[in-house]
Amino acid sequence: MNAVLRGQLLSIGRALAFVALALALCGGIFTLAGYSATSMFVNIAAGAVLAPHAFVHTLRWTMPLFLMALGVLLTFRFGYFNIGAQGQFYLGGIAAAFIADAWRAGPPLLAIPLTLLAGIAGGALWAFVPGLLRIRSGTDEVITTLMGNFIAALALVYVTSGPLKDPSGSGQVAAGRPVAAALRIATSSGVSFTLIAIVAVVGVLVWLLVDRTAFGILGSLAGRNPVMVRWQGAPSERIAMTAFLVSGGLAGLAGALELLGPSGRLVSGSAPTLGFGAVLIALVCGLSVPGAAIVAVFFGGLAAASLYLPVIAGLPAAAIDIINAAITLFITARAWPRMPRRAQRRRTLESAPQRERVAS
Amino acid sequence: MTAVACDDVSVAYGEVLALRNVSVAFERGRIHAVVGQNGAGKTTFARVCAGIVRPTTGRLAIDGREIRVGDVGAARLSGVELVHQSFALPPSFTVAEAMEFGSTRRTGPVYSRRALERRWRDHLASLDVAARPGDRIRDLPVETQQGVEIARALCSDARVLILDEPTAVLAPPAIERLFARIRRLRAAGVTVLVILHKIHEVLAVAETITVLRAGELVATLLPAAAMNAGDLAHAIVGSANVGATIDVPAPHAARDDKLPALELLGAATRATPDGPPLADVDLTVGHGEIVGIAGVEGNGQRTLVNAIAGLCALSAGRLNCGGRDLTRTSLLERRGHGLRIIPFERNVEGLSLSSALWQNWSARLLVAGRQLRLVDPQRLRGLCRSALERWSVRFASVDQPAGALSGGNAQKTIFAREIDDDAMLIVAAQPTRGLDIAATAFVWAALRAARERGCGVLVISSDLDELFDISDRVVVMLSGRIVGEFCAPYDLGAIGAAMTGASSAALTLATP
Repeated sequence: MNAVLRGQLLSIGRALAFVALALALCGGIFTLAGYSATSMFVNIAAGAVLAPHAFVHTLRWTMPLFLMALGVLLTFRFGYFNIGAQGQFYLGGIAAAFIADAWRAGPPLLAIPLTLLAGIAGGALWAFVPGLLRIRSGTDEVITTLMGNFIAALALVYVTSGPLKDPSGSGQVAAGRPVAAALRIATSSGVSFTLIAIVAVVGVLVWLLVDRTAFGILGSLAGRNPVMVRWQGAPSERIAMTAFLVSGGLAGLAGALELLGPSGRLVSGSAPTLGFGAVLIALVCGLSVPGAAIVAVFFGGLAAASLYLPVIAGLPAAAIDIINAAITLFITARAWPRMPRRAQRRRTLESAPQRERVAS
Repeated sequence: MTAVACDDVSVAYGEVLALRNVSVAFERGRIHAVVGQNGAGKTTFARVCAGIVRPTTGRLAIDGREIRVGDVGAARLSGVELVHQSFALPPSFTVAEAMEFGSTRRTGPVYSRRALERRWRDHLASLDVAARPGDRIRDLPVETQQGVEIARALCSDARVLILDEPTAVLAPPAIERLFARIRRLRAAGVTVLVILHKIHEVLAVAETITVLRAGELVATLLPAAAMNAGDLAHAIVGSANVGATIDVPAPHAARDDKLPALELLGAATRATPDGPPLADVDLTVGHGEIVGIAGVEGNGQRTLVNAIAGLCALSAGRLNCGGRDLTRTSLLERRGHGLRIIPFERNVEGLSLSSALWQNWSARLLVAGRQLRLVDPQRLRGLCRSALERWSVRFASVDQPAGALSGGNAQKTIFAREIDDDAMLIVAAQPTRGLDIAATAFVWAALRAARERGCGVLVISSDLDELFDISDRVVVMLSGRIVGEFCAPYDLGAIGAAMTGASSAALTLATP
């Protein structure tokens, strides 16, 4: 246990160090760009926690980020790189919106769970296709999930300007019809007891799934060495497919919660950076579920600050993009030893089972 | 005049001394054999001479000039080339590309494939290597790959050629051709250091014999002409290791059904990348019996293990375990019926090197049962710890990555996972490859203990000595077929003939 604990503390310390380095780099960039680094960081902190209601905003962004990061880290652990959380989030929102629209007069106690389930199904479907292609024919899931993001964004444009178009919309942004008030589980602040409870329960369930079930431990083994797990007789393909589905389902759930919670309607092009935020969180937290909760708050804070900076402080919101980019830079630099292993896994996977399958 | 001289060379891997105070000077222009058992330090010695391994202490001189130890570049510039035991040529390269890649000669930044192929065609022809420069490495038979390796080593005017276990992958006729090639090289003035562990091969090719045992020199530059097989065997094995008893865990009560642990009836598969398809394989392993599969590597042994594991479907025939027809079942179900596998590739198929020991050990328990059931990692860690201790695995913590274990301890970890009370049929593929004497003895003792408890044991090995030692019966595979079955006392000539498809005894190695 001590070794485990020490390892965890070490990885947390390392992550903090990377973030600190990234922030230092950003301070330099801000100064070079002619801004006071101090005032920039003070205002970011204000936007994230210090200003009135700032933490509510932070929490509002933390929840979808956390859910999506859980899905991303699940596939990362299992050796697959689902970077399509954004598209799965959109598809979850779209599927949920159709149900919510059809059941706008239905009993909320039935309609809300059904809407959330539809969101999960939509996200899972969007991960199912790349998962199937990956498992059946070895198609690189990085490419397919990434392309899925663009397709989903266009699907969202279509749905919000077609089937679910809000006739009274301003016309500036394509948006869907508002969800019936009875189905909303949070106000536009985006924070409510129900919402927090759902996210917390899902977080615990995912933690159990990943760290406390045979599925999770075998999946982690398969992520490191799929051949070995195959020789143990594990149903590797089913494990992999489940990982894709759960991953997409979590992003889809985030999309549905967004619809019933803060947003209240589908909005074309909304929250376009959540998916990449989720990937960042998964990498920074070292693929640990409790770690993801903490890191998600940090990135939720940055997301809140990116709205605060231009509106309240009159500073460019690009500062947040720079911070995200700097963190990405440092984290990927740390993650690079991971990459050859991934390439190696590819090779072993392709040389052994796949060719055999073709042959048999 | 000495070609290669080592002075007081020691190599330590962690706490293990692979070589201890080795001093030897090889004369130029002769064929020197370095012999010893698995783990005697032969490969390490070869790598020190080639500059790949930096010794902890000691000096290395080539042609009388001292060179920096552990510097491949310096060794190659002095004309020392090593041909690895497991070939190191990139499989996707063409022969010409692989030669160019290994050459110390500088190529211009831009060149055409045709120019490369023209450049190397004559070189290959002069060495009588049966490969075209445009062939892909992966498409070549093993013997030709080795020829290309040797040609690659000689492309830059090597004066010392080190061959690490060159016969391990070859059939007897190919071994003979290899030895003829070695003699031609010697005639051309190349000094050859050849690492071997089979006595008759040593006596057939070497002019001097140097014996390593457990990292120490026990005999240096013995003239081969004056040696006989008995003395050499004694020098290699020593007397201390005979008769030692090893305490190994065994299953408590393996099922002792009347029906055999494994029955393959007319089994056939399609061809796989691993080797020829199985054809009409009839094989029975009884309870309390060790059956050895002999054969030159690549004759369907891997397909056989895959087929027994259910990872390669039978296109015809049946597979029964303990009387139950398991032909159409998955590996998971077969494991449920007591099948346990020690796979060929310990570090790929057997263990996940970057995962924690406890996860590796727990895998067998985790795959059985419902996937979504809750498990307690703390309990698994505890079970793993006590199992590894029972199997005398040397490890620091169950949370350490499996890759931190030595080969012997890694194999013991696999045994600790695979040999449990429910084991009925144990398939051990090359279970001692790369292990030292102690670990080898441990593995043999564990397989024997499993046999005593009534398990059926199938051992696949390319080492005939090993098979003769532990098998109750030896079955020979050739091109995916069973071509012979032998009981003790084993007739090496007859088995060798069966392995190569020759009708008569063919293991007599011609002398020049």
